[in-house]
Amino acid sequence: MVRQSTGLVFVLPALIVLAMLIAYPLAYTGLLSVSDQQGNFVGARNFATVLAARATPQAFWNTVYFVGASIVFQVILGTAGAILLNQNFTGRAIVRSITIIPWVVPGIVAATTWAWMFHTEFGIINYMMTAPGLIEAPIGWLTNRDTVMPVLIAINVWKMFPFVTVMVLAGLQSIPNDLYEAARIDGANFWEEVWHIMLPQVRSVITAVTLLLVIWGLNSITIIYAITRGGPANRTLITPIQIFRLAFDAVQFNQAAALSVLFFAVAIVIVFFYVRLVQSPSGGAR
Amino acid sequence: MNTQVNTPTRTGMPLPIIVIGAILLVLISLFPFIWMAISSIKTLGELYTIPPSWWPAAPTLDNYYTVLFKSNIPRYFLNSVIISVGATGLALILAIFASYGFARFEFRGKAALQSFVLVGQLMPTAAIIVPLFITLRVLGLVNTFWGLILVYMIITLPLSVWMLTSYFRAIPVELEEAAIVDGASRLEVLFRITLPLSTPGIIAVLVYAFVTTWNEFIFALCFATDSSVKTLPIGLAEFSTEFNTDWGAVMAASLVMTLPIALLFLTMQKLFVGGLTAGATKG
Repeated sequence: MVRQSTGLVFVLPALIVLAMLIAYPLAYTGLLSVSDQQGNFVGARNFATVLAARATPQAFWNTVYFVGASIVFQVILGTAGAILLNQNFTGRAIVRSITIIPWVVPGIVAATTWAWMFHTEFGIINYMMTAPGLIEAPIGWLTNRDTVMPVLIAINVWKMFPFVTVMVLAGLQSIPNDLYEAARIDGANFWEEVWHIMLPQVRSVITAVTLLLVIWGLNSITIIYAITRGGPANRTLITPIQIFRLAFDAVQFNQAAALSVLFFAVAIVIVFFYVRLVQSPSGGAR
Repeated sequence: MNTQVNTPTRTGMPLPIIVIGAILLVLISLFPFIWMAISSIKTLGELYTIPPSWWPAAPTLDNYYTVLFKSNIPRYFLNSVIISVGATGLALILAIFASYGFARFEFRGKAALQSFVLVGQLMPTAAIIVPLFITLRVLGLVNTFWGLILVYMIITLPLSVWMLTSYFRAIPVELEEAAIVDGASRLEVLFRITLPLSTPGIIAVLVYAFVTTWNEFIFALCFATDSSVKTLPIGLAEFSTEFNTDWGAVMAASLVMTLPIALLFLTMQKLFVGGLTAGATKG
C-alpha cells in the first residue's frame, strides 16, 4: 500500500542520521577492540591488556560507588522535594522554579562553582564549618582521599535531584483526588497518605526516573573530570574518564575501544536486569 | 484550590515542616549561584582573604572586564550559539518528520524502529567517543561546527522524536482527515494543521535541545580542540588553568554562561516541564 511506504519515508532521514551516529560507531568500536594500531586482527589482546591494568577494577568500583550513592540520595531528596512542592502554600510556584535551576545550569558551571566553594583555604564551606566549630581545621575536601568522592557525589546529587522532583511532582499531581478522600474518611493522617497513597502511586515514575539516572550517571563525566580529572591517586577515576584518558591522553585507541566494549556490555546488563527486576512484580499485579 | 472546596478537612504536611523544607530547598538550590555572583564582583585581594567576606567591601566589575575583553570567552560564546542553534534546528526538522511518521502511519518494523530511537537515548556516550572521533577525523569534521552539530544529534534527536510523537498523537486525527478529503497533501496537512496545533510541544523540544547542547561537555572536549570552534563549557574548563585559576574571572564567566540558560528556562518553564513530564505521567 501507499501508506506503508509513506510512513517509512517520513521516519527515514532521522533514522539514517541515528544509525550513522550510533549503530555504525558501535560496530566500529567492536572492530577496533580486536585490532592493533595497524588494523591487524589481534583477538582478545587489547581486552587482556585493559583488564590487567590496575586502574580498571578501581575505576569500575568507583563508577559503581559514584552512580549508586548518587542515585540513592537523588531519589530520596527528589521525592521529598516533590511531596513538599505538592502541598498548597504561598510562594510554591517560586520555590518550584528555583528548585529546578541546579538541573538546568551547565554541569561545568556547577563543577567550577562548587570547586570554589570547597576550596581548602578560601572556600566558603570550610569557613562555614570552622566558624561555628563544626570542624577544627579546614579540610582539603577535594585533595583528601577520603572526602573527595563523597563531595563529588554530593555535587552530583545537588545537580540532578531537581529532575527527580519535577518528574515525581508531575506523578503526584495526576493522582485522582478520590484516593485521598477515601483515605481521609478512614481517618488517615498526612504521613499515612504519603506512605499508602503517594509513594505507591508514583512508583512507576520513580522506576523510570531511576533508569534514566543510571544511564546519565554512567555518562556523567563532566563534574568529576572538571574538578579532579580522576585524581587524587585515581580515587575518583570512573570508567568513562578512564576511556577518555586511554584514548586522548595515552592515544591507545584500540585499548580504549576494548574498555568501551566492556563498559557497554556491563551497562547493558545492568539496564537489562533493572528493567526485568522492576517489570516483573508490577506485571504480576496487572 | 478545588481540593479545599471538596474537602474542608484536608490533611496536609504540618506547616512548620513546609516552611523549613521550602527555605532549605531554596537555600540549597540557590546558594551556589549567590556565592558565584558575590565572588564575581570581588577584587582579587578580597577573594583570597581568610576568613572570606560575605559581601565585597569594594564591588568591582574588573572580573567581567577580564572575561569580556581579555579572554576567548566571547568567541566561545558565539561558537556555542552557532552550534546549539544548528544542532537544535537540525534535530527539530528531522524530528518533525520522524515523529509525524511514527504518530500517523503504520508500517512494518515500526515498533522496532521506535525502540531503536529510544535505545539511542539510553546509550552510554563514553562507549562511542573513540569511533566517533575516528569517523569525524576521516570525514574531516574534527574541529568544525558541522562535526559538533552532527554529533549532538545523538543527544537531541532521540528525545525530540519521543516528545513530538506523543504531541502529534494527542492531536485529533479527524482534523487531518477532513483536510485530506478537501484535497490537501500529507505535507500540507503536516505544516498547515499538525504543526501549528503542536506549538507548545515544538517549543518544549527546542528549549530541551538548546539547553542540552549548550551545556554539553564531553563531546565538545573531544571533538573541538581548536579555539575557533571551542564551546563555552570547554572555555570555562580551560579558564581555570589559563589564568592560573583566577577564581573571580571564573565566577564571572560562569555567570555569563548561566544567564542565557536561566533566562530561557524561566520564560519557557511551563512548556518545558509540561513537555518533559507528559510522557512520564501517561505511562
